[in-house]
Amino acid sequence: MLENYIPVLIFICVGLFVGVAMIALGGFILAPSKPDEVKNSPYECGFSAFEDARLKFDVRFYLVAILFIIFDLEIAFLFPWAIVLEDVGLFGILAMGIFLGILVIGFIYEWKKGALEWE
Amino acid sequence: MTFFEVVFYAFSTLMVVAALGVVSARNPVHSVLFLVLTFFAGSAIWLLLEAEFLAITLVLVYVGAVMVLFLFVVMMLDINITRMREGLMRYAPFGIAIAILLIVQMIMVVGPENFGLQAFAAPELHGADYSNTKELGRVLYTDYVYAFELASVILLVAIVAAITLTMRRRPNTRHQIPGEQMKVMKQDRLRIVNMKSETIDSEDK
Amino acid sequence: MMTLEMLNLSIAMPEMFLLALACTVLVVDVYLKDSQRNVTYMLSQLGLIITLILISQQTPQNNEWTRELAFNGLFVNDLLATVLKYAVVLLVAIVFVYSRRYLQDRNIFKGEFYVLGLFGLLGMMVMISANHFLSMYLGLELLSLSLYAMVAFDRENPNAAEAAMKYFVLGAIASGMLLYGMSMVYGMTGSLNIVEVAVALDQMEGDNIVLIFGLVFMVIGISFKLGAVPFHMWIPDVYHGSPTTVTSYIATAPKVAGFAMVIRLLAESMGSFQADWQGMMIILAVLSMAVGNVIAIAQTNLKRLLAYSTISHVGFIMLGLLAGNQEGYSAAMFYTLTYTLMSLGGFGIIILLTRKGFEADNINDLKGLNQRSPWFAFIMLIVVFSMAGVPPTVGFWAKLAVLKAVVNIDMLWLALVAVFFSIIGIFYYLRIIKLMYFDDAEDKSEINCTRDMQIALSANGLSVLMLGLYPAALMSICIAAFS
Repeated sequence: MLENYIPVLIFICVGLFVGVAMIALGGFILAPSKPDEVKNSPYECGFSAFEDARLKFDVRFYLVAILFIIFDLEIAFLFPWAIVLEDVGLFGILAMGIFLGILVIGFIYEWKKGALEWE
Repeated sequence: MTFFEVVFYAFSTLMVVAALGVVSARNPVHSVLFLVLTFFAGSAIWLLLEAEFLAITLVLVYVGAVMVLFLFVVMMLDINITRMREGLMRYAPFGIAIAILLIVQMIMVVGPENFGLQAFAAPELHGADYSNTKELGRVLYTDYVYAFELASVILLVAIVAAITLTMRRRPNTRHQIPGEQMKVMKQDRLRIVNMKSETIDSEDK
Repeated sequence: MMTLEMLNLSIAMPEMFLLALACTVLVVDVYLKDSQRNVTYMLSQLGLIITLILISQQTPQNNEWTRELAFNGLFVNDLLATVLKYAVVLLVAIVFVYSRRYLQDRNIFKGEFYVLGLFGLLGMMVMISANHFLSMYLGLELLSLSLYAMVAFDRENPNAAEAAMKYFVLGAIASGMLLYGMSMVYGMTGSLNIVEVAVALDQMEGDNIVLIFGLVFMVIGISFKLGAVPFHMWIPDVYHGSPTTVTSYIATAPKVAGFAMVIRLLAESMGSFQADWQGMMIILAVLSMAVGNVIAIAQTNLKRLLAYSTISHVGFIMLGLLAGNQEGYSAAMFYTLTYTLMSLGGFGIIILLTRKGFEADNINDLKGLNQRSPWFAFIMLIVVFSMAGVPPTVGFWAKLAVLKAVVNIDMLWLALVAVFFSIIGIFYYLRIIKLMYFDDAEDKSEINCTRDMQIALSANGLSVLMLGLYPAALMSICIAAFS
């Protein structure tokens, strides 16, 4: 089975090499690097920056992300099911039906609660 | 050393280095990115164990989704790094000492002689047409259907908990209500007033 | 090919009904207005009553209890499971009764409290019926996830958020420990099924160091969840920080589930390693009784005091468990069931005394309770006496049974240590009684609470007394569960 993944490994090696080589060549070897205070300061339309660029994120992003993860996991369960559908038959369909049914209840809940709305 | 072992040790080293990076990086965002690398190396090791589906799920779910969540959380918190460092420096020697003690103890109690090839025979590698996902699917939806359904209940609780704890209604925001907007009739909005046309007498003069 | 008949679904009826109930409550609740929240409450209670009926119908045909398996051996039902499930459902139902007015007063009377409570209950029932490491772990996570959310439920309260954070981090570590231990056992035995693990361990000869290594991690994970010293750090903070109704939930039913976890994981599957986990449990039990009773003396917060008292009681439960025979297990079961009842009563009194904008969690808030309400002072007296182990309350019989079990395995010194620490413990229990009966009330306001809460709390307190007068029936059930 593992021989199927040899191309992936080669690809990773090539990707790693290309990435490292590019950054090393462009960033450290070839490009002149003469930093000074003005060059390193953040640029904001000509005048000095008002505040830190790292703003606090709204908690709403977190909610959307976690709801996404939950349904992402649900999808992950669908892949093996789709592959073995012929083997597990009606029983498997029923099992997945209940699984999805329980999550649909969660979906109804979040929809009605307004968690999917971006106010 | 076989090619298989080379790959294994390469990814294991990568994983250990990345895990050390997670706990030692100054910037929490860098920590999260190191964690991505850790998961990635972990998934490669799982793949070597022929746990194909789990390896890809790890990349898909953890690297793809959970790490996004971690980044949000890290960015949501206003972490004062210097203040955190103070506490760290105070407890670090103590923590490191305990960790080393634990590791040494664990190695002394269950050394490698309990786990090597002489303790367990090496599992046979499967051929090119072997599908781990298929094997998993065959038992997951039949023999382990109870655990499978429980997993969905846990996900449901996660939905409920996340919404209960983080969702806030903002009463001041203005919404668009398309239904209401569509139902507006001419007479609700428009008033036709009958009036004489005004002439500007003063300017004529 | 699997068929539905092979799953033997009928013995898992209560769990399936409870799942359907929790989902129904969840969906119904989002369609209700804030003023109709009582419907959610009523629906949950009605559902719990039906669950109780379903559990009581799980009796075998000719009254001969056997281990009945379902879901391909992931689920087991026996007398132990039936009794424990009955207890957890009853405890949760009473917690719900206590919670209504408290939540209303704090503007957190939301459906999610009941939904999460029901899902947590489902997790406990899964744990109690687990015949597989996997279902045990999933049940535990279902319970823990619900509890983490319930602790942080009152979002305006920073203490609750802190408690939830600590609980979550430590709980996650404990789950990790437990899983690591399970993985070691799986590696050595090649199975996760509790019965198969037990069979595989029986056939193994000699000391297997890796298995003991795994066992250590499992014991640590279990001790974390039960709150035995030195894995007790979360208990005082969580009990103190969470809303009192949530505290009363955490302090009662999950202990029963934790007891089931010890029985299933240590007694049933790792039974042949009993000598090994007995030694670990002796340390845990002695430390729990010592730390719990001594630190409780210094507490001025009633919830923290009860938290340390819980830790010392967990030590006592472990005394019974470490005996490792039928007598010890049934004594520990008796202790667990009756202790949760007392604990529920104690937190019930705190909830009774709280009112809008006032949290009666300081020990001085009990001052002169006898002047304010002689009846509830009496109920609290029974509960506190029972916790201290004073006859004729049930706490006395529970302690006696556990001590007898320890003496019978020739560990007289351990029994003496236990008696010594429970005498220390009497000190702070008596302080509560002194405050209630011999001090003048600082706060003379009348105690007003709903009729259902009064009835439930009175029944709760009186049952502690009645079980003390007639302990034989419950005791014989506990003995039958392990025969």
